[in-house]
Amino acid sequence: MPDVAKPSGGVAPGYTLSTGLGSQALAGLALVALPVGLLVTLTLLPTVRMVAATFLVEGHLSAERYFAFFNDAYTMANLRYTLEMGLVSAIAALSVSFGIALYLRFSAGRIATMIHGLSLFPLFVPSIIISYALVRFLGPNGLFQLLLEQVGFTQYRTPYLTPVGPFLAFLWENIPLPVLVLSAGLSQVSDHAVEAARDLGAKAPRILWEILLPQMRRSLLIAFALIFMGIIGAFTVPYMLGPPAPEMMSVFMQRTLGNLHDPASAQVQAVVLMVISSIVGGFYIATMAKSSAGAR
Amino acid sequence: MKRTYFGGLILLVSMGLAMLGPIITVILWAFAVKWRYPHLLPTEWGMKYWFAMLGRETVITPILTSLALTSIATTTAALICWPAAYAFARLKFPGRQLLLFSFIAAQAVPKFALFVSIAVIFLKLGLVGNFWGVVVVQMLSAVLFMIWIPTAAFRGIPPALEEAAFDLGASRLRVFLFITLPQAMPALAASYVLAFVSILFEVDSALLIGAPTVTTMPLLLMSLSAQVIVQEAAVLCVLIWVPCFVLLLLSRRFMTARGIAQGFGA
Repeated sequence: MPDVAKPSGGVAPGYTLSTGLGSQALAGLALVALPVGLLVTLTLLPTVRMVAATFLVEGHLSAERYFAFFNDAYTMANLRYTLEMGLVSAIAALSVSFGIALYLRFSAGRIATMIHGLSLFPLFVPSIIISYALVRFLGPNGLFQLLLEQVGFTQYRTPYLTPVGPFLAFLWENIPLPVLVLSAGLSQVSDHAVEAARDLGAKAPRILWEILLPQMRRSLLIAFALIFMGIIGAFTVPYMLGPPAPEMMSVFMQRTLGNLHDPASAQVQAVVLMVISSIVGGFYIATMAKSSAGAR
Repeated sequence: MKRTYFGGLILLVSMGLAMLGPIITVILWAFAVKWRYPHLLPTEWGMKYWFAMLGRETVITPILTSLALTSIATTTAALICWPAAYAFARLKFPGRQLLLFSFIAAQAVPKFALFVSIAVIFLKLGLVGNFWGVVVVQMLSAVLFMIWIPTAAFRGIPPALEEAAFDLGASRLRVFLFITLPQAMPALAASYVLAFVSILFEVDSALLIGAPTVTTMPLLLMSLSAQVIVQEAAVLCVLIWVPCFVLLLLSRRFMTARGIAQGFGA
């Protein structure tokens, strides 16, 4: 697959138009000013204002809203549920994708092409569509249950409105990204290394553990960070498929702001989620920076 | 050899069921007039619910609202982002790398949490429930596609052609219009499609900034999905998603691992 989206690779470095540097710098800044301005007004400023607002209680600095957050059992249950959902779903998605990527790496032909296509299908399906589709597929008397009953299995219990519902949706949504990332990584593991190990008598699990996994570590970490961030921030999937309680953080925020009309608490919830996400995001960016530095 | 073949076949069948099963269910429902438990398939087929849905103003209005919102937000984002992408790719200016990087870093901010911060400000300004308030916020979802993919495309165009045209005396505008732009066009179109579809189906900002006065198509879908008549939401899904699916398929070349990692990741 040609990797088109790669600006940082610098395909044509140092190509400049034949004007003086001063006017070029001005033109460049003028051209980027509007989108940068949009980012500043609608991402940077609201975030900074929100963080400041959460520490301002009746005109003076105080962390009492955060004490309230971390001392509230229901809030903490929601936070724990969110993080566990992110962790479990991301690990499951990575494991399944790794299996698919391994199969694709060592096979060819029509079946492999079809599996590759299927694994990328979720890219073309927005969250709200798959959430609704899963309600109809896995829900009570859904097509999945009907299929099971055709083969004589009548004990089906729907995952809809249990934590398994959003888990399955997150798993479904997060197959393509790691399949792409891991396939790219696996294609760099040479056949010779695998064959040499096999000739020396290594069994498949050992080849996996000692040759493939070490080389895939960075790809796995990057994919994990991206999936985890996506899941802990998700709204549509848990809103449509999840149980009424515990709530994932975005659903909780929506209810706090929209139904309870408590923007102060909603903002604290948002800041906590942002901090967790930015820790994982910082780790992702550091890993990316390291790998692109290594590639040069 | 035979073992891997059967292994592959089992993997294919189970993946086919898991990946396509949910969508097939929705398509069946959209064309089912009667589908009662325990029948595996609908017992009566037809377009009855399509006509019923398309004749209702409460359905048409949100669809038109969404199309207007999405077109305005995506086109405006394109107008401000594509020139910026050209600048990121071809011009030298102070802070270029840092600013380009800031568009990626912004993706690490959880969207829903960010929209909460914006909603609180909009509440004070009276912009919640305002059409243009939603447009501005939805532009954010377009920015990454519209900066990242076009920047890569402009960088990927070999400068030799442009230089040759310059040497032959072509003006910069002429070179841009006749050499650079045609080569970047597929990537620009793809970035437009990706941004358009992601905004069209966006729930988060529509719910926090638009509701209750601005009802978009995804919000309608959410309210329909909770109703007793299953077909209504199914019809809406098929009606809106299938054209988008075709458009996305045409742009799939640009959905690379790296592009997705940065675009869809957070």
